[in-house]
Amino acid sequence: MMEQTNIQTLQHPLKGWHRNLHQHTRGDKVIWALVVLLALVSLLAVYSATGSLAYKNFKGDTEVYLFKQIGFIMAGIMVIYFAHRINYTVYSKVAQVLFILSIPLLLYTLFFGVRMNEGSRWIRLPLINMTMQTSDLAKLALFMYLARLISKKQDVIKDLKKGFLPIMTPVAITCLLIAPANLSTALLLGASCLMLLFIGRARVKHILVIIGIALVPVLMLIMAAVIRHKSGNDDATATKKTSAGLFSRVDTWVGRVENFIYDTKDADNDDSYQVNQAKIAIAKGGIFGVGPGNSTTRDYLPQAYNDFIFAIIIEEYGLIGGIFILFIYLVFLYRCIRIFKRCPYAFGAFLALGLSFTLALQAMINMAVTVNLFPVTGVTLPLVSMGGTSFLFTCLSIGIILSVARNVEQESSLKSAEETKAL
Amino acid sequence: MEVRRDILWRVYLSFLGIAALSCFVLGRAFYIQRVQGNYWRSMGDSMHQRFIPVDAERGTIYSEDGQMLSTSLPQFNIYIDFKADGLREKNGKIFKENIDAFSRSLADFFGDKSADQYKSELLAAYKNKERYYAFKKKLSFAQYKAFRNFPLVKLGRNKSGVITEVKPFRKNPFMMMAKRTIGLYRENAQNIGLERTYDSLLKGKKGKRLVRFITGGVAVPVDGYEIEPENGKDIITTMDVNIQDIAETSLMNMMNKSEARYGTCIVMETKTGKVKAMANLGRRPDGTYDEDYNYAMLTTEPGSTFKLATLLSVLSEGKITTDDKVEIGSTGKAFVGVRDVNDAERAPKPILSVKECFAHSSNIGMSKIGFKTFASQPEKFKEYLHRFRLDTVTGIDLVGEDKPHMANLGKGASLKDLVTMCFGYAVEVSPLQTLMLYNAVANDGKMMKPYLVNSVQSNGKVLKQNQPVVLSDDFCSPSVIRSAKECMEDVVKEGTGRPAFKGMPFQVAGKTGTAHVADGKLKYGDGVYQASFVGYFPANDPQYTCIVVIRTKPHSPLHYGGQLAAPVFREVATRLYAMYVDKKNSSLYAAVKDSSAYFYAGNAGNIMNVFKQLNIRYTDSSMQHTWADVYAKNYEPIVKPNEVKQQTMPDVKGMGLKDALFLLENMGLKVVPNGKGKVMAQSLSEGSAVKRGLTVYLQLS
Repeated sequence: MMEQTNIQTLQHPLKGWHRNLHQHTRGDKVIWALVVLLALVSLLAVYSATGSLAYKNFKGDTEVYLFKQIGFIMAGIMVIYFAHRINYTVYSKVAQVLFILSIPLLLYTLFFGVRMNEGSRWIRLPLINMTMQTSDLAKLALFMYLARLISKKQDVIKDLKKGFLPIMTPVAITCLLIAPANLSTALLLGASCLMLLFIGRARVKHILVIIGIALVPVLMLIMAAVIRHKSGNDDATATKKTSAGLFSRVDTWVGRVENFIYDTKDADNDDSYQVNQAKIAIAKGGIFGVGPGNSTTRDYLPQAYNDFIFAIIIEEYGLIGGIFILFIYLVFLYRCIRIFKRCPYAFGAFLALGLSFTLALQAMINMAVTVNLFPVTGVTLPLVSMGGTSFLFTCLSIGIILSVARNVEQESSLKSAEETKAL
Repeated sequence: MEVRRDILWRVYLSFLGIAALSCFVLGRAFYIQRVQGNYWRSMGDSMHQRFIPVDAERGTIYSEDGQMLSTSLPQFNIYIDFKADGLREKNGKIFKENIDAFSRSLADFFGDKSADQYKSELLAAYKNKERYYAFKKKLSFAQYKAFRNFPLVKLGRNKSGVITEVKPFRKNPFMMMAKRTIGLYRENAQNIGLERTYDSLLKGKKGKRLVRFITGGVAVPVDGYEIEPENGKDIITTMDVNIQDIAETSLMNMMNKSEARYGTCIVMETKTGKVKAMANLGRRPDGTYDEDYNYAMLTTEPGSTFKLATLLSVLSEGKITTDDKVEIGSTGKAFVGVRDVNDAERAPKPILSVKECFAHSSNIGMSKIGFKTFASQPEKFKEYLHRFRLDTVTGIDLVGEDKPHMANLGKGASLKDLVTMCFGYAVEVSPLQTLMLYNAVANDGKMMKPYLVNSVQSNGKVLKQNQPVVLSDDFCSPSVIRSAKECMEDVVKEGTGRPAFKGMPFQVAGKTGTAHVADGKLKYGDGVYQASFVGYFPANDPQYTCIVVIRTKPHSPLHYGGQLAAPVFREVATRLYAMYVDKKNSSLYAAVKDSSAYFYAGNAGNIMNVFKQLNIRYTDSSMQHTWADVYAKNYEPIVKPNEVKQQTMPDVKGMGLKDALFLLENMGLKVVPNGKGKVMAQSLSEGSAVKRGLTVYLQLS
């Protein structure tokens, strides 16, 4: 682990404000541009999609949500800015502390958290009075910690006992703590971690075994869904629904899986209603969309501004708009891989890879849910869904990635400076 | 470097995986759009869009003088959804904070319940989580406007759960007045009166509108998918509010005095058959009277008023004249051909002329001449009754008219029935049918069909103009008519109508009737009478024909037509005479005078053009005249014709100088204007003869 020396003495040829901006917002310019692009998209889409929500809560004052989103974007950019100014090696230590902190926090949430949509995923933050999904924090902490572990254990990573299991343990702990309240996040988190382990040269065999273990409960869910559908008995669901606590969540999962497998098109069910509405939105959008602000499905699609914002984007901007969004995420991922390639230090490399891959994966999953490739989960579209703490955590991840990029840049400019000197 | 390369392929593989996933997403989206697109799009439309009917505005029923008799007003029904999100959220915070103030406002405003009562009702409904709690019904617009600003309610539908439904209801601004004739428009029962006769015109045509339902059950219309409702047509009746009022109050006074069972009074314009008033009063258990049935069209044994038919047919046969003498006897009882006949009132002398028989309403006399003329040929009498249209309905444009009944006069006719019919029994006709015959006599033998609707209009445009209909003009010879009129004049001069019409400033002609009623449960012995008077005035130039029929309570001390019905007739006639006959059309000028500030005159085309440009609704009654006056009625301008005849000074009052100059100078007059503005006065009065070169001075305001 190398401590970064202060290389601020290096002067950039640009002058004045422009030079200042250039100086302060370092890191990958393309990533910066992509962030701004996504923020703008989110502004448009959220403004359009919150129309009915504004009617419900603010008597039609739709600007409320627009300004709220603008506020979130400003705060997010501040977060990115400050996060990327911090030397990324600091995150290595922070990761350890944060991970250890996240465990009691998750426990607290599980038992005393605010219940929304049945799952107990949220805690209310004092002072700023905002609810926070603790899994967001835990996720970030885990990814950072994982990057640290993988980089440290590169030499023994192929070894089950010395390498793989010690890395896998924190993943398992976090996933199991998140799972009861938010199975889909836990599964997504697990999958991201396994991808990270795969990238970090873990043995494929080990990974497959873990997948196998994780598949057991998933298969059980599917079985339960199949059985429930076959029996087609509403009494069974009724009795299940009365069961309290964590088991009530099981019912939701089974239901979602059932809806997904059997493609129930009747609208009396909340989830299939959501999916059907999303499909209607997509179908209405066509290739070029109905135009900004002309969505009609937004009035019926619950969470149009949040989990299902991709449907609204396709409706308003067409398949072209959808391709554009997908393209942005892929470019973002590609740029992060570029950072990784140029990063001389393992921690930085894995940090950038881990955070970017999970972001991209989350985006893909969200979109896959929207087009009904996956069953309904509670995953947001990073940077596009309406603000909230998850938006800020996404910004924090990007800030950390940019911090790595900034160091890579300085490193290489230092190198090139030396080279010029040598010449 | 081995490590780095190992990592790199894994990274690229993962990247490819993600890229592949994104391709799946795209492919899936494409599939949804292209392959399943129609299904989802139509599903979206069917889920959120619906054609809803758009109610057409029901037309208004107006009186002839432009007063609204029946119109539709919005009415508001209030419901509360106690499961509304806003009401329930935070454990009902909003509800609990507002319920006290809300209950107080309700109690203060409506005053029907105390604030505590309101509060406990609301709390109970809140506890039961009622979704569609019927809270207040039939609020007027003014009430609703106040209600909208109450605490809780003003928070809006989502927060308060208050649901408002607008339902038009039918309002008769004149309340009970002519209610049975104008009719009732009811949702769950059959309409009656004009509302029913003209329902197809009044109701209009429902429209359709495609709406999209958005949050909170709000429906937003979709552009371009609307079939406009066709609003109902307006009905302009022949009724006159003032005359109706006179008829109703006059009748009501007598009803109250005599505690009679029911009564009706119809006023008809003699020359046209226009029904100007039709009052029906029935006694309710609590002793008050209400328009509960259209007695004007109920057939009953008419009694002596039927004697006109006897007289007309006997005279038409030509064997008997009004001056022929008939022996009545002095006992008030006589055997006529086949049966005994009683006179209700003792005749003044034992031998009466036919005219006197009629004037004194002698049953014996009338049946004697009837028997003498028709005993050998009862079917002839039947033929006469048919000519007088007493065997059929009048054809008035009002549903529910009963057909008259009468004893058989054809083959195998009983002469007893013939004798009985001569003085108005064994036959059942309605007051309206009786009135039509009297009106025909008053109108010199021209039988006019009674009618209630002048015109059908839509937005002030006349769609259909009803004209008076002559049903028959040869049912009697002019000489017979003249004789009958004399007889009717004598009724009032010296006969049964004399006491009631003493000291009238103008002459009335008519006939009293006092029928002993046996009807359904009632037997002749129950002492129930039907007192009537039917006639016309002024006798020398009949303007109005009127019938008053009152059915008494059992053993009522007052029961003669001359005692009960004639005074009502007298009151109606006196007041009508003063208002209309004396200075006919005074109401028309009164309306103009009342709104002198709103009186313009000029070229009809120009005036209407101005209204059109300004988007002002107006009623066009100019009937294609070049010149027109405008005056306001019910806050709506009405364009009425200003008739300009050659060689006659026109009325230029209200015109601008330009129009007045154009009009007068074209007639060859010299005009000297003074002042500016509208013409206030003209030196030559309207209607005076003018010739070229005359000078007219105009005073402008």
